[in-house]
This record gives sequence, structure tokens and C-alpha cells, in this order.
Amino acid sequence: MSTSGINPLRPYLGHLAGVKDLATGIKLFQIELTESEGQAAFADYKPGQFAFVSAFGAGEAPFGITSTPALGPTLEFAINNVGHVTNTLHQLDVGDPVGVRGPLGNWFPMNEIKGRNVVVLGGGIGGAPLRPVIHTLLDHRADYGHLTILWAARSPDLLVFTDEYDNWRSAAETELHLTVDRGDETWSGNVGLITQLLEKVGPLPQSAVTITCGPPIMIHFVTLTLKKLGFTLDQMLTTLEARMHCGIGKCGRCNLGEKFVCTDGPVFWQSEVAGFLESFL
Amino acid sequence: MKFTTLDELRAWLNHLAQEHDLIAPRDVDGHVLYRPVASSGEILFDYERPELSTKDYFLPATEVLLRTERRGGDVTLEEVLPDRKQVLFGIRPCDAQGLTVLDALFLQQEPPDVYYRHHRERTTLVGLACPQMWEGCFCTSMGGAPDDPTHLDVLLTAVDGGYAVQVVTEKGAALLEGLALEEREGEPPPQSLPPQSWGGPRGGAPKPVPVTPPEKWRALFEDGLWQRHGERCLSCRICTYVCPTCRCFDVTDRVVEVRPGLTRIERIRAWDACTSTNYRRIAGGHNPRPTKPERLRNRFYCKFCYYPEDFGPLGCVGCGRCIVSCPVNIDIREVLRDVAERSGE
Repeated sequence: MSTSGINPLRPYLGHLAGVKDLATGIKLFQIELTESEGQAAFADYKPGQFAFVSAFGAGEAPFGITSTPALGPTLEFAINNVGHVTNTLHQLDVGDPVGVRGPLGNWFPMNEIKGRNVVVLGGGIGGAPLRPVIHTLLDHRADYGHLTILWAARSPDLLVFTDEYDNWRSAAETELHLTVDRGDETWSGNVGLITQLLEKVGPLPQSAVTITCGPPIMIHFVTLTLKKLGFTLDQMLTTLEARMHCGIGKCGRCNLGEKFVCTDGPVFWQSEVAGFLESFL
Repeated sequence: MKFTTLDELRAWLNHLAQEHDLIAPRDVDGHVLYRPVASSGEILFDYERPELSTKDYFLPATEVLLRTERRGGDVTLEEVLPDRKQVLFGIRPCDAQGLTVLDALFLQQEPPDVYYRHHRERTTLVGLACPQMWEGCFCTSMGGAPDDPTHLDVLLTAVDGGYAVQVVTEKGAALLEGLALEEREGEPPPQSLPPQSWGGPRGGAPKPVPVTPPEKWRALFEDGLWQRHGERCLSCRICTYVCPTCRCFDVTDRVVEVRPGLTRIERIRAWDACTSTNYRRIAGGHNPRPTKPERLRNRFYCKFCYYPEDFGPLGCVGCGRCIVSCPVNIDIREVLRDVAERSGE
């Protein structure tokens, strides 16, 4: 017996249209949805939204969508090989079937922040949900003020989207700063934490908004550094990660106090985060 | 009142069992459990609170959500929903109240859960009033009562020579069409008694358990009472397993068959527990809720602060199962009394 109406736990079917190495242990998965319902559902997803990707036989897990609809109907996910589902995905070949559920969650308020300077801070795989932000800013460059991208990783081989850096740098009113926790023989750039880079670059808080994604400890210390630079919590956006099993506020897994990362987030203003009963840290 | 005899009831249940999945209290190796029965001969009519709630028949401990078949590059997905109607006979009023609690999340909160809704729609609830309160019971403090018909389709109450029958919903009336009923003078007896007179396990009225409003819980988040109650928790998760309202779930896949050119996979939903050690651990290894007191606190806050704030009802019906099953005697009534005392209620 089949259900009448939409079953939000059923993934839309698709297949892997492409796989690219992004960094050590991190691949970019390009997925084409084959069902018209899925194509319609993903026609207008927003920067910061996420989706569950199914590796049939292993299960499904939530990932920030790292593409924008402007790139075409192919969905992109930057996925680190860290667990059962992600390891199974990493073994797949182009053409293999996958499933996608979504788009889920809220998104970065790209309209609300028009006209403002934007500071984007990405740490490691945390850069994945920020790439759609950067693309949106660059696609509508005149709608926003100065763009400062601070991009960090533990080591040079873990920097993501390296093939896009030249594009980002060459865009009008855009600067890109890279740093790694530990360099290697190929690395001649900054070495140190993103907070040190942030102090060095010293973006001005006037008419600015910051957008941060990375591990919880990075979000915490970036927030402290931004405060030192004069930013207030209602200028700081972040997207939080949590393990989850439904993405629609039912399974309970991602709660932070009475909030659910999946339906109340994953995007929050730091002024909201500061009011959480239970810390994300 | 409407009245029927045990013999009539048995005949009706035997008939129902042919057309429905009939679930009823049964003796399973000395344990009273709601279990599928083939005929009324297996059903207990005089029993205490079953050891597990009826949650399993709406949010099964393990449920196949989807069947996936993969042939080469082609995949088909089939949603798995049982066709048969279901009757839950002998459900206690607290367990029916537990379903109303789950409804607030799974039915009333968009988007509704397709599977839960299907099980709710296919099931009729025929309750049997408790003749008294049992060890650990505190339903009368959580808005319920041993004879509360509110959350049921039909409520039966044992009376001299048979059962008083209260029809609560149209769904209940439709199911009762095959049962021989007669009209008798008077009302079902326990209804005339106020809740205070319900006998506890040692006779006498159970001591009321205070419910502190959600906003007052917020001030107690860092209170030492969580350390005190939580440090002896074993993270065994039995409290969430026996609870009629704990609803956390996990979703995973299992491969059921691999042949050349064909792989059959089931997507499974299974009960989960916020009291388990790595419940909130994220991909990078960070765990924002690393200690037992923090996890136990989350369970109590879910029930008495978050759930009522987010979805309406309290996440507890006072069935007392967590009290009798906790291996280290964490007692939800003591915790609630502590919370009330600390918040000055």
C-alpha cells in the first residue's frame, strides 16, 4: 500500500553525475535527480539549506548543499569520509543510484543583508554550506558591499574549493585570506588559527555582517574575536551542525534545549544562540 | 449505562481477531505485555499495568519504512504500510493519553508523520479502566485517571457480572456494532469517585506529584539537582524504552538480500534514547552533552519544558514504568518534587 500525499521520509531518486576530489578525504558529489517531484522540490533551494543523501544499503545522513540553483539542476555536496554513510558514498561511481531528501532547514538571509559588507569565515568542511553564500554574493556583486573571505583548514591538503580561489580573488571588492593550522613544504601562506587571521585582517564592524561555519570550538572563538573587533551578536550569522535522523523536527536527535537545529536552524544569529538554554558547545 | 458480559465480549473479540490485528494484554512468560493475539483465550482481563506501553503499535521499536530494490543502476522504492485494521483491546487510559501526547508531534506538527498517522488511523482503542493505581502510578497528577475515557474510542469498566461500556468516539461505536449490549440502570462505578480516593499500592490515595510550569524550569537548568539525580544514571536507556511518550528515533539501512544483479534493502526506523552516551556527538567528535547528568536533565526538560513549549502537552502521563524499571531507582516523582521545591512552587 502506498501513501497518499507526500512522505517526507522518502528520498527522491537520482544518480551520481560526477565525483571530484576536493581535498584529502573530501569529495564533491554531483547528483542529478531523476524524478520530476524531486526536481521540482529542489528548483529553488537557498544558501544554507541542507538535505539528506542516501547511500542505499548504508543509510542516509544530512549535508549542507554546496551548490546554488544558478549552477543548474545538479545538486552538489562536499562530503568528508568520516563514517558509515560517508564511506559508502565515497565508494560510489558515476552513474550509481543515490537518494536525496530536502531541501530542509532555514537559510542565510541573503536579501536582508543586501547593501552590507560581508565577512565569510569557513573552517575545513565548514566551508561547504558557505560556498553557496559566496556564489550568491559574487553572482549579485552589486547588491552587496565589500566581501572578505577568511578560509581555514587544519593543513593545506584539507582546504576545499581551491580551484575557485582565483575566481573569488578576481571578483570586484572581494578579498580572500587563507590560513592553515600546520603548513607543509608547499605552503607559503599564513599559518595559525582563523582567529589569528581574523585579528590580522581586522574587518570593520560598520555596516557589516559575518557568516561563520566550522567546528563548534571555532565558532565559539571566532565569536569572541569578532566581539573584540567591535561586532555585535546581531551582526553574526552562523550555521550549526548536529547529528539528525529526520530533518523535520520529529526524531529528537538535534535538539539544543527547546530548539531543533533542523527546523529552527541550521542558520542562527549569534544573538539567538546566546539566548539558548542549552549550549551548542 | 451500556453493559455486556465477559462471554459476549469474548465472542466479539474472537470475531474481531479474524478481520483485524488484535493486540491485547497477554501473559508472556510471567510478564504482562500488549501483544498480538489470535483469539480471546489468550487475553488477560484481570491484569495490572502492562510492562511496556502501546507505543510499539504506532511507533514500532523497529519499523521498515521503505523497501528498496536495486537492479544494476535502477532503484525502486516501496513505502511499507500494513493494510489491516488494528484493534488495541485492554489499553490502559495512561497509554491512550500517551498516544495523544505523540499525536501533538507526529500528527499536529507539520509535516505529519505518514507512518504514525497510518497506524493511528487503522487502529481503534478499546480501553479497560484500572480498578486501582499500581506501584509507581501517578496518572492523577498528570491530568489523567484510572478510568479516564478521554483518549480512547471505547472504555470498558468491570462491574458486577460483566463490563460497563462507554462509547467515546464514532470509530468506537462502529467497532462495537458486533457486540451485544444491554441498557442497565446507573453509571459505571469508578466514575463517581474523585481521583483522591484511588487506592495506591498500599491502599490510600497516592501522594500528589507537583508539575512545575515550563518557564520556571528554565531557571533551574544549572541547578545542582541534576548532578545529584544524574550521577547515578547508568545510561541504560530503559526509561525511554518503557516510556509511552519518549519518541526519539534513528533511521538506518539494512541489506536483506544480495544476489547477482539484485540487492534488496530495507530502510529501518528504530527507537533511540537521548540518555545514551553519544546521542549528541557530531561528525567531528564534539559532544555538547557529554555527561550523564546533562543527558538525564535533557530527558526531564524534554518532558516538562521543551515538549509542552514546542508541542502543547506534557511529555509524561504518570504511568510509573520508568520508576519501577530504573535499575538505580531514579524516581521521576522525586525529581518533580525537587524541581517544585527548588523553584519555590
